[in-house]
Amino acid sequence: METIIVLVIIAALGFWLVSIYNKLVTLKNRFKNAFSQIEVQLKRRYDLIPNLVETAKGYMSHERETLEAVISARNQAMAGLQAAAADPANASAIKELASAEGALGGALGRLSVVMEAYPDLKANQNMMQLSEELTSTENKVAFARQAYNDQVTDYNTYKQTFPPVIFAGFFGHGGDAELLEYEDREEMQAAPSVSFN
Amino acid sequence: MNFFQAQDDARKKTLWLAVLFTAAVLSLILLTNLLVAAVYVWTSNYARPEQLNLTGLLTSLPAETWLLITVGVLGVVGVASLYKFLMIRGGGRTVAESLGGRLLTYDSTSSPEEGNSRRLLNVVEEMAIASGMPVPPVYLIPENSINAFAAGFGPDDAVIGVNQGTVELLNRDELQGVIAHEFSHILNGDVSINLRLIAVLHGILFLGMVGYGILRGVGHGRRTSSSGNNSALPILGLAVGLLVIGYAGTFFGNLIKAAVSRQREYLADAAAVQFTRNPDGISGALKKIGGHYEGSEIKSPAAGEASHMFFGQVRTLFLNSLTATHPPLDKRIKAIDPRWDGDFPVVVAGVPTSELAEGASGFAGSPADPDTAAATNTAISAAAIAEINVAADPDQITDAVGSLNDRGLEAARALIDSTDETLKDAAHDPYSARGLIYAILLDENEAQRDRQFSHIQSNAERGVPAHTARLHAHLANMDAPHQLTLVSMAMPALKSLSHPQYKRFISNVIELIKLDRKISLPEWVLHRMLVKELRPHFEGPRRSRPRYGQIDQVAEAAGVLLSTLARFGHDDAAARTAAFKAGAGALELRRASIELDSAEDPNFSRLNEAVRTLSQLKPLAKPKLIKACAATATADGHVSGLEGALLQGIAAALDCPLPPSIYEAAGNTAS
Repeated sequence: METIIVLVIIAALGFWLVSIYNKLVTLKNRFKNAFSQIEVQLKRRYDLIPNLVETAKGYMSHERETLEAVISARNQAMAGLQAAAADPANASAIKELASAEGALGGALGRLSVVMEAYPDLKANQNMMQLSEELTSTENKVAFARQAYNDQVTDYNTYKQTFPPVIFAGFFGHGGDAELLEYEDREEMQAAPSVSFN
Repeated sequence: MNFFQAQDDARKKTLWLAVLFTAAVLSLILLTNLLVAAVYVWTSNYARPEQLNLTGLLTSLPAETWLLITVGVLGVVGVASLYKFLMIRGGGRTVAESLGGRLLTYDSTSSPEEGNSRRLLNVVEEMAIASGMPVPPVYLIPENSINAFAAGFGPDDAVIGVNQGTVELLNRDELQGVIAHEFSHILNGDVSINLRLIAVLHGILFLGMVGYGILRGVGHGRRTSSSGNNSALPILGLAVGLLVIGYAGTFFGNLIKAAVSRQREYLADAAAVQFTRNPDGISGALKKIGGHYEGSEIKSPAAGEASHMFFGQVRTLFLNSLTATHPPLDKRIKAIDPRWDGDFPVVVAGVPTSELAEGASGFAGSPADPDTAAATNTAISAAAIAEINVAADPDQITDAVGSLNDRGLEAARALIDSTDETLKDAAHDPYSARGLIYAILLDENEAQRDRQFSHIQSNAERGVPAHTARLHAHLANMDAPHQLTLVSMAMPALKSLSHPQYKRFISNVIELIKLDRKISLPEWVLHRMLVKELRPHFEGPRRSRPRYGQIDQVAEAAGVLLSTLARFGHDDAAARTAAFKAGAGALELRRASIELDSAEDPNFSRLNEAVRTLSQLKPLAKPKLIKACAATATADGHVSGLEGALLQGIAAALDCPLPPSIYEAAGNTAS
């Protein structure tokens, strides 16, 4: 009789372990799926920036440095995105993407300030449209990022609760997943403000 | 087969499943005991002749050993099933995720190289709207073979999973056939049995799986240590014993599958032909499975116990006929296309098979099916849909529940095509989908609308208010059926919100509804739809057991519902009474009697309570209720699109999806 009880207990333990393992995998899949949403929006943003710079060039030939800084920051962020998309569970890749995104935000912010001195550019139809698209993509990125961060938090929290915390490392879920965090940017200057009517 | 009958069958099958499971477990216990007894008798030095028959073998074991084995087998099977059951409690998406599925969104398929995935999303959306179901999330499974599945406890938490190979190798018609097959599984309630079947099979097959694992482990240990001692022998014996039991488990598992699900594959194939009116689609897909070198095989180890929910056979093992989860391919093809010559097309990966440009709204009917072309002409055209009414025939409406045909597909396509592109894009995007729902909820009255809008501005995420304002302008003059279509389209996007985002969204929706101090019936329907479909996704599916077999038992609740409907569509007291009487008559109550509730404003908490009670009706009692609702709404002979949408919403709340084919363009009574 004892052997049976022992066997059943062992089986139950085994299942319990497998269920922890499965839950970890599920949560990981969820935040990976959430990252692909960010990826889409970021890609769209990176596609918009060269057009923006191209339009701005015609008006502000004296600000080459600012424009080049935007382009190089954009390229850096693009490379960061590719690395992060290859494995969203890689914390350092996500960190790098976050800092590249921060840098790009800074460069765009400076461009935005400089643009203040060029009212013609701000009034340019093309520019206004691009800025609006950029702002709206920006909002979508922020939103997708929030969803991703929520899922990552779920994953990390589960990993740190009592029984899973013992086995997570053994199951290949050692390090915490990284939150994608950086300062939200102000809206682009040229973006027309939307009012409800 | 009629929808209600299919639902009822599915429910009875669940009971049948429990009976078969018990029988299988008992047989496993008996078999294990026999096996142990046989080993015991053969290994003991003397075998008495009377022990060589069945009863002799069984009595040769001491009672204690008997008990031991029985408890052991029961424990293992029980724990294994329970474990699996707890896992699938998360609903359809858990299954898709455990197979490594990637959630497909319109956003992630916007690049040209993802055009095939976009086509898949379009096909699924069309089919869902045509059947009056919420659009299910679609997962792409990273496998090169041709296969697909539907999983979930019901339409609300159902997901569709499709292999990469399916997306790449099938053309639109074939894809539509496969998706129609899966929708038939959802509508007929097969998915819910299939999900439970996973847990049951896991329990029965588990002992064999352990045996297989031990055998592999021992073999591996032998090769690495090569110490060649005999200590592994008893373990080997145990493993072989478990394997034998495992095969017995497989046998019972297949028996259960055959009894519960295998026959339903033929039904779903037939339904796919009925839904699309195009036998070439589904048979073409099946033929391509036959011609593809990977066929429908799934490599993921998680696919084994989910194999019965796939479109095609998942494993192609040497014991093919014994372990088959599906009827043989050639039989399935023959059942659809009796003239088939037995030749499979050669399918090579990388060769584009799609010749149909996506976005073309025309139905690619086969030349052999002239009806399709005729149907296109008589169906509602996008232009005529501006003013839609409902066919004023309660029986016709009741028959439409859960049914899908080419006419429904045409109606759905017309609805989709005549919807503003900007709004469709918004519905497909998780970010703007919320803005869209908020915009739909905005009041007509300007003062109320300003109050609602300022709530959105202070409570919604950044940028959403701007979206709401922009989309509201596009929504002007949009009729209720189109609004309902948009809400259904937005479901997959809303389901991809994170939990905190969902909480915020739902609380905003409730605030917006309450802010104008008057809850309207359309608002109530919208809220019911959102809650009904989103809650199971975010908070785990909740099952309520059907309790009432007779309308009489829930007469009061039915009275509340019919009173609400009678009040809504009719202005004066006489018309209301007449409408209510028409509905009450259709209920065919035997004992109870119901009265029209003459209160002017609907009491929504009572209505909620009533719908909750009514949704617990058994499937075969529901057609009368739907008919009564339809009779009340159509009593005055005039049924507007708004009333139709209300009917759809109420039917959906009662788990009876009502397709948009009930709508008719004004003045057009083509049937």
